[in-house]
Amino acid sequence: MSAFQQAQAPARAIDPDSDVEEEALVNDYKEQVQYEEDDAESTQLSLAAQTDDIQSRLAAAAQPLDYSAGLEVKFSSYDSYCSLFHFILNSEGPVDLEPPSYYWAWDVIDEFIYQFNSFSSYRARIARQGNNEEEITMLRENPNTWGCYSVLNVLYSLIQKSQITEQLAAMKRNEDPAAVAGEYGSKNLYKMLGYFSIIGLLRVHTLLGDFSLALKTLDDIELNKKAMFARVMAAHFTTYYYVGFSYMMMRRYADAIRMFSHILVYVSRTKNFQKNAQYDSITKKNDQMYALIAICVAFQPTRLDDTIHTALREKYGDQLLKLQRGGPEALPIYEELFRTACPKFISPVPPNFDEPEANIDPIEHHLSVFMDEVKTNMFNPTIKSYLRLYTTMDLKKLAGFLEVKPEELRGWLMVNKQRTKQLRWTDGGLLEGELVNVSDLDYALQGDLIHISEAKVGRKLVDWYLRNLSRTYA
Amino acid sequence: MNGEDPQERPDFIRAIISGLERYNPEAAGTLEAYLTQQCEEKFCDCNANRALLKLYQLNPDRIKDEVITNILVKAMTQFPSPQFDLSLHLLSPSQSNPGPNSSSELTEAVSKLRALNAQLEGAEYARFWATLDSDDLYADLTTDIAGFEDMIRVRIAQLVGQSYREIQFAVLESWLGLNNAEATTQFITETCGWKVEGDLVQIPKNAENEARKAEIREDVNVDMFARVIKRSWEESA
Repeated sequence: MSAFQQAQAPARAIDPDSDVEEEALVNDYKEQVQYEEDDAESTQLSLAAQTDDIQSRLAAAAQPLDYSAGLEVKFSSYDSYCSLFHFILNSEGPVDLEPPSYYWAWDVIDEFIYQFNSFSSYRARIARQGNNEEEITMLRENPNTWGCYSVLNVLYSLIQKSQITEQLAAMKRNEDPAAVAGEYGSKNLYKMLGYFSIIGLLRVHTLLGDFSLALKTLDDIELNKKAMFARVMAAHFTTYYYVGFSYMMMRRYADAIRMFSHILVYVSRTKNFQKNAQYDSITKKNDQMYALIAICVAFQPTRLDDTIHTALREKYGDQLLKLQRGGPEALPIYEELFRTACPKFISPVPPNFDEPEANIDPIEHHLSVFMDEVKTNMFNPTIKSYLRLYTTMDLKKLAGFLEVKPEELRGWLMVNKQRTKQLRWTDGGLLEGELVNVSDLDYALQGDLIHISEAKVGRKLVDWYLRNLSRTYA
Repeated sequence: MNGEDPQERPDFIRAIISGLERYNPEAAGTLEAYLTQQCEEKFCDCNANRALLKLYQLNPDRIKDEVITNILVKAMTQFPSPQFDLSLHLLSPSQSNPGPNSSSELTEAVSKLRALNAQLEGAEYARFWATLDSDDLYADLTTDIAGFEDMIRVRIAQLVGQSYREIQFAVLESWLGLNNAEATTQFITETCGWKVEGDLVQIPKNAENEARKAEIREDVNVDMFARVIKRSWEESA
């Protein structure tokens, strides 16, 4: 705020009745409502007129766009982001500004990506409906507004300018990040923007369906409570959602469950301190993550934390039961849960306005690929439930119980056996992992004879003991 | 993950996919040439191939249909793994889902390959070979990939070795798709090193096909109790 006041003061001193202030207001207003094909030059001009109230523009960039905002507002919002990032990235030397708050940088990046996401979805919807000629013309004429390359460009530029990767690497080595931060990265503004841009990239890559690249971008960030994002609840939450989702799409269900459990337990423990608007927005994502956990647990039966298990049964009890039973009846449940819980996938290029029917919603695309894997695995629960009952079993006899051909059952047994091995993270980057056996049920075939062994799970007492111990203290 | 980061990957490819160069449309040519090398030299770098698909995703004007199908076929040889699906996710929705009036050659090829991949993932190996033979289009799609059938066959044998101690010759023959007993016997004894005894094939013991009993115990260490101990210390103090 002080910068704002200092800048205002001399203007008043020169001529209190000048039109300068009014002019600035007009410019500001113009930028909000007027759509114009800003070239770089006019952006620069309006920028110069407004440097005095840069603080209010910083604040504005973190503000959510009105839900019912029209296309013109979306265009001009894009322009103001461009000019703001242009100012931050391309001024001579680092801009001397303090972010308005510790969560400001997150809010800006979050809102920037949110608007990119909803703009892309909106554009695709207009193309699919194909009846709003006016907006179609406008979108057709401006293919680069909210373009994927420019969004990626902003995020990568912020990361590079702030040397945040180098800083994080230094922190990992227990060295002083300031030594490698450079001219820009030593400023809070750049450091924070750079940091949250990494999380922004995680999100953009997931939205585009590039799940392994999404996880790869987090290589330098250690997921723990000391991480910088953990200070901003929304950032903490978002990060785990996208990481968990990407793991799920890479068939790493154990890791996905670990991510979702971590954050859901955290939320349930902090629920009482967070009765504000931020918490409301979290509630929806919270439910989505329970839906995703249900899917993951169906793929890979896992003992969940008690709090999560109870909440999961409350929210999705019926669905979970059907998923765990497997078979064709479970397929619509998978679809339903995936649809409610997946990110709003987008396509990075403008849609085909000439053939409305040719534009398939990216959600349908990713869902259908995901369902291929679901279908491959849909008989695993059946197989397991039977095998658990025996130590040896004849394949033809089992095929008789299940009313399928022996050849079919041989396939199911192979699939189930293959899926018990999964990559699981132990150390290092998120994509690292060891191939481990994640099932307590193992079997091998000798001709048509199935030899089955079930791992005995000893009782887990530490958790129980600790919980009761803390209760006696309370 | 199989075929994710092969040793064969040269440094200049590593530089492209780990830096910003992966967004440069001009890099597509290099990655395409690298794909050709993978097809000829029988190794697979799905990570680099996805970088190429990503470039296509961002620059649809650069798309080459046969490159996309070659990437998919290469990814398919890594079964069972998410590689094929991860590649599919990067295609545009209209390329992989045949719409009412968008049946381009690419769409048709992709949906054929998806069906084929589903059979490999679903361990329906006999059906896989039958499908492969059922349409000349498959021969066209796999022609660039040197040793495609052999790679699939070796992979199937590996997977059988992980599940079976002993398997009927007839079953294995249908899964290997060699269509003749002599060639099958040769493959089993020479490539796999297994023994054929009458109508059974003996597979030596390995870590996977034993189905050993195991007990999972809880590891308890002092750290888990650190907070409780600390608290009791503080309260008594």
